[in-house]
This record gives sequence, C-alpha cells and structure tokens, in this order.
Amino acid sequence: MTLNELTKPWAAFNYGFLDESAKRELRRKMLKAIAIPGYQVPYASREVPMARGWGTGGLQVTLTLLKPTSVVKVIDQGADDSVNACSIRKFFGRVGGAVETEDTGKASIIQSRHRIPEEKLRENQVLVLQVPDPEPLRAVQSDMSVARDMHGDADYGQMWLVLYEQLVKSGRIMQGASYPSLVNGRYVISPSPIPRWDVKKLNQADHLTILSAGREKRLYAVPPYTKVEPLVFDDVPYRVEDHQDKTCYRSQVTGFFMNELPQDDGSSAYELSDSHFGIKHIRKAGGEPVVIGETWYRQGRMD
Amino acid sequence: MAYVATRGGEHAIEQAERLFRSDLGTISKDRVEGIRSSLPYLVDRLMGEASLYEPDLAALALAQAGGDLYEAVLLLRAYRTTQPRIAIAEPVKQPDLFTVRRISAAFKDIPGGQILGPTLDYSHRLLQVGVLTGEDYTPEPVIPAAKPAPATQPSLTDWQKAQGLIAEHPVETIAPEEIPDLTREPLLFPVPRAHKLQSLARADTGGTLALGYATTRGYGDIHPTVNEVRLAEAPVLLRHPRGTVFSAGRVRVSQAEIISKSKNLELGFSATFGWNEVKVISAAILDRATSQPNPHAASTEEFVLYHTEPVESSGFCIHFKLPHYVTFQSTLDAYRRVKADGEASGSKPVIKEPAKKEEVAL
Repeated sequence: MTLNELTKPWAAFNYGFLDESAKRELRRKMLKAIAIPGYQVPYASREVPMARGWGTGGLQVTLTLLKPTSVVKVIDQGADDSVNACSIRKFFGRVGGAVETEDTGKASIIQSRHRIPEEKLRENQVLVLQVPDPEPLRAVQSDMSVARDMHGDADYGQMWLVLYEQLVKSGRIMQGASYPSLVNGRYVISPSPIPRWDVKKLNQADHLTILSAGREKRLYAVPPYTKVEPLVFDDVPYRVEDHQDKTCYRSQVTGFFMNELPQDDGSSAYELSDSHFGIKHIRKAGGEPVVIGETWYRQGRMD
Repeated sequence: MAYVATRGGEHAIEQAERLFRSDLGTISKDRVEGIRSSLPYLVDRLMGEASLYEPDLAALALAQAGGDLYEAVLLLRAYRTTQPRIAIAEPVKQPDLFTVRRISAAFKDIPGGQILGPTLDYSHRLLQVGVLTGEDYTPEPVIPAAKPAPATQPSLTDWQKAQGLIAEHPVETIAPEEIPDLTREPLLFPVPRAHKLQSLARADTGGTLALGYATTRGYGDIHPTVNEVRLAEAPVLLRHPRGTVFSAGRVRVSQAEIISKSKNLELGFSATFGWNEVKVISAAILDRATSQPNPHAASTEEFVLYHTEPVESSGFCIHFKLPHYVTFQSTLDAYRRVKADGEASGSKPVIKEPAKKEEVAL
C-alpha cells in the first residue's frame, strides 16, 4: 500500500459537511435514543452554516443519515417551498448530492419543522423533527439539571398540575402545539411544536421519528410501533384543532389541518397546511396521474 | 394551479441574498487586509467568541458579514468545526507571557511593576471631526522609555499565595488528551471547570458584560477588585513526537483575575483569544460569581453559560422571524373554543391569565 492510495483529493468540506467523528457521535447517540424511547440524549451539537434555532438539530441528524441515494423532503410549517425549507433542502443537495423531492411518498428522509405530513409514513422512511425546546418540563422547571433528575424519577406531578390548572382557569387545556406526551409509558417528551393534530400520528407509527434540538444539544426518538399518549385526564378527552370541517379554498379538500388566511372583508379563508398534499389534489383534479398516499386522518377523524 | 403562484421560495431567497451581497460590493483581499489592520480589536473580539485564532479568516468573516458580528462569529465557528484538531499545545504559564500591558487595582505597585501598554483608559474621547473635512488624523509618535519594560512579568497571585492571602488552589494534573473540549462534548451540569472557562472564553462580550455587571450591581454578591489585567502574546509551544518542544508562533491573549471580598479573598479568572478587557474582566467576575456556594439565580453556572453563548442566543433570537403560523393556529383554536364555550354557557370567557404563559413550550 502506498501513501497515495490512502490519500484523497483535497475538498473544501467533508461529504455531508460534518466530519466523520461528528457523524459517528451522532449515530451512537441516535442508537441510544432509539433504545430508550423519549429519553433526551445530550450530544456535542456542532456549528453548521446556518443560524442556531433554524433547524440545526434536524440538519445534523439528516446530514448524518444522508447518503447519495437518499431522497430528501424538507418541510417548514407544512410547506416545501417556504424559504427556510428551500434553503435547508438546497444544502442537502449541495453537500450530500441527495435527490430532492417534495413528495412525501417518494422521500426516504423527511426533515420537518412543526408538521407531520398528512400522508402516512412507511417503515422505510425516517422523520426528522426540528426541535426548538426539547424540555417539556421547562415551564415548571427552568433549571435543566433539575429537570433531568425529574425525568429520571418519572416525576411528572408538576406537569399534570399545570394541565389541571389550565382546565380550572380556562375550562380547557390551553396547550396549543408541542403537547406534552408520554412515550412508551416512561418519558414525557415535547413532541416538537407540532400541532395537537399531529401528535396522534406518532402513536404506533410505522416509521422512526428522530427529534433533535441543535441549540439545546439534545436528541430523542420515537421508534416505530411505540405508544405515544398525550397527557390527558380520564374525563377530559384529547381534542385536536377544530379543522375537521374546514375546506381548502384551493384544492377543495376537507378534513385536514389548515392555514387560516384572514380576508379583507373580515372573514377567513382556509388552505391546506401540507402544501404538497394540496398540490397533489389539485393535479389529480386536473386529470394528472397522481398517487395520493393513505392518510392518518379520514374525514377529519382518526379512529 | 393556484398553488404555483405561492411558490418561488427558492428564487426569492436567492435574490434576497444577492441584494444583501450587492450592498457590500466586491470583497477583495485588500478589503480584508484593511479590516484586519484598521479594526484589530474587533478582529480580536471575533476570534475570541469564535474560538479560532486566525486574524485573516476573522477579517474575511467580518467583510462577508458586513460587520454583523453575530453573523461573523457563526461563519467562523461553522468553518472551525470542520477543521481537525491536530495537536495540543503545551500549557501557557503566566510568567511566560510576552506582556505588553499589565495593571493591578489591588496595589499601587506590584512585583514586576505596572505597565500601561496601549490603552485609551485615560484619554479624552473626542471625535476628530476634522478628518471628515480632509485633515488627516495622525497619532503622535511614541517616545520610547529610557529603560524598556521587561518582556515577561511574574504572577501577582503567586506573591499573594506566598503571603497566605489567597488559598492555594488544588492542582489537578490531567493528561493533555484528557482535557475536556467543549467543542467536542456537550456542556453538562455540574460543569467541569475546564468547560466553564472554555465557555466563558468564547462567550459573547455583551452577554458577559450584562450578567457580570448585574452581579456587581446587586443581582449577586460579588465585589470585585481587579487583581491583574494582562494583554499579552502567548507562545504556542508544540511537542514534536521526538520530544523537542518548538514554537508555532504567538497568539494575542487577554486575561483577568479579580478578587472578591466576601468572607475570604477569592479569585475569579478568565482568559480569551485577542485583546478584550471588558470581556475578561466581566467573565472573571462571572467565574467567581458562579463558584459561590449559593449563587444568585442570575449567577448560576447554567444560567450564565447558556445565556452568554453568542451563536445560540443570537440564532434563537432571529429565528422568531421564521413563520409560526401552525403553532399560532393551534393556540388560536384553543382561545376560540374557550370563547365559544363561554358564550354557549352564557358566561364571559374565563381566561384569567394569558394562556401563552402557561404553555409548556412553543
């Protein structure tokens, strides 16, 4: 073996931007996270060429999972074409040579900020959720070291108390998105700020979900076929957003999570939040041969 | 195909970036050299916060960011993280620093003497407005002292320790490769001292100033006296595999020691790349404040180290520009339902406190 055989041509950065030791660490931490569902694993989050809080946690996980044959979809608030989603997707193309897609069904890795696609994910797909704040106990315990002890003791009494106080004060649980949920009967997680509508999609899902917070240096996972239960009282059922009977003004589709668009006349119009799901429906209505995957919700219901 | 009209994100971000870059114009080697030579203290601050000592790259980052310091720190750190760590230098000892400025507020005179070095501390801060009308402002030449100051200075703390004024700190001997590295390991609490000093060394200057100032104003219990502030050049000594130690050059460093007059005289310490006195004095105060047995809530290690991290805090602050309509929609839904329930039961809505406060995380 000669020295020449061991060297490779100079490149401005490594494949997938992160160096191999960073990726190795992430892989090990991901395996740990999968082995202990819902447990927040600390990791040495690296600086990436994107501002912290803009999805750097998800970015590091996706960069680690990436290979040249990967097909990547990036969503921001449901849309593939919003500026941050475009910027992140372009980055995967640039540093990983990955195929970019907007189609949920065709993607092998889906990195998302704040939404889970309406079409069901399969066993061979990985959902990477960007997490701004991984700590569900933050509101009751801002000190992370103490919160870690509370997780260790499965001490979620204060968490229940907060939900109960909301019920007493407002007549309902006021938690909007990032609804605290119990994973595998053990750890309470913040399921990223996905709406309540999406939390139910994590329960007993076919796919693996990895949640990663770059700024907070924590990652955790919901493995496939794992129980995810939103924290609810026996007599107060979990209620998703009232979008069951809303109709998308563009695609005429009913019964999915919508963006509300305030109108000049004081009323509201609604459009599908999952943008590519909407595009598929419009194309299908226009006679194109489009395959729309099975959805988690049917006519606004999931049961 | 109404959806098509809302698309075009890629074109928009491309053009927005072009607009930003067109305002800055061409970045040439001359411009970078100009920044490096005319703004050395800004370059120093940036190298400290990015924890990468490379004045040319720092000046380039400033040029590319148009002087937006947080942007420049991010640029430099993102570059730094891809670089291998090839060697660990020999420890730098205080008496070996090539010291250009070293003052103490604790004693009128100290072993080795007080050396003012380059400073504006005693100058009148007057704008030289004549420059704008064509009169160049050329500094008065420096008159060399009859007897040059010694290049190196002893440690004042050694004298204080010999006098029994300051307790001898237990010395931990750690093999170089065992020294924890914050850039390769997560910050976990309780934090190893090495991580604390590394974190303060690359903390935001403004952040350490705000929290350090707060602790001396009463949000904490630190009454600092500056024991020693030094601006120096530190030799970077490497050990060749054959055992010879050789110099790889010098880096500009600053360091501060403060003494807090609580029950005992206790030291706080900080050092960073580059010459940045505000940073090292405030960070040394924070080192002391976070080491107290029962620190003020604003001086706990977790609070201080998390909130003075420039890349993380600035990134999160600007992330609020990103759309939040999904989460907002979810909140809106809860509000509306409370209102509807209230109207149905004939009573007024009963939200007593803003619901957002109670939300666990957004």
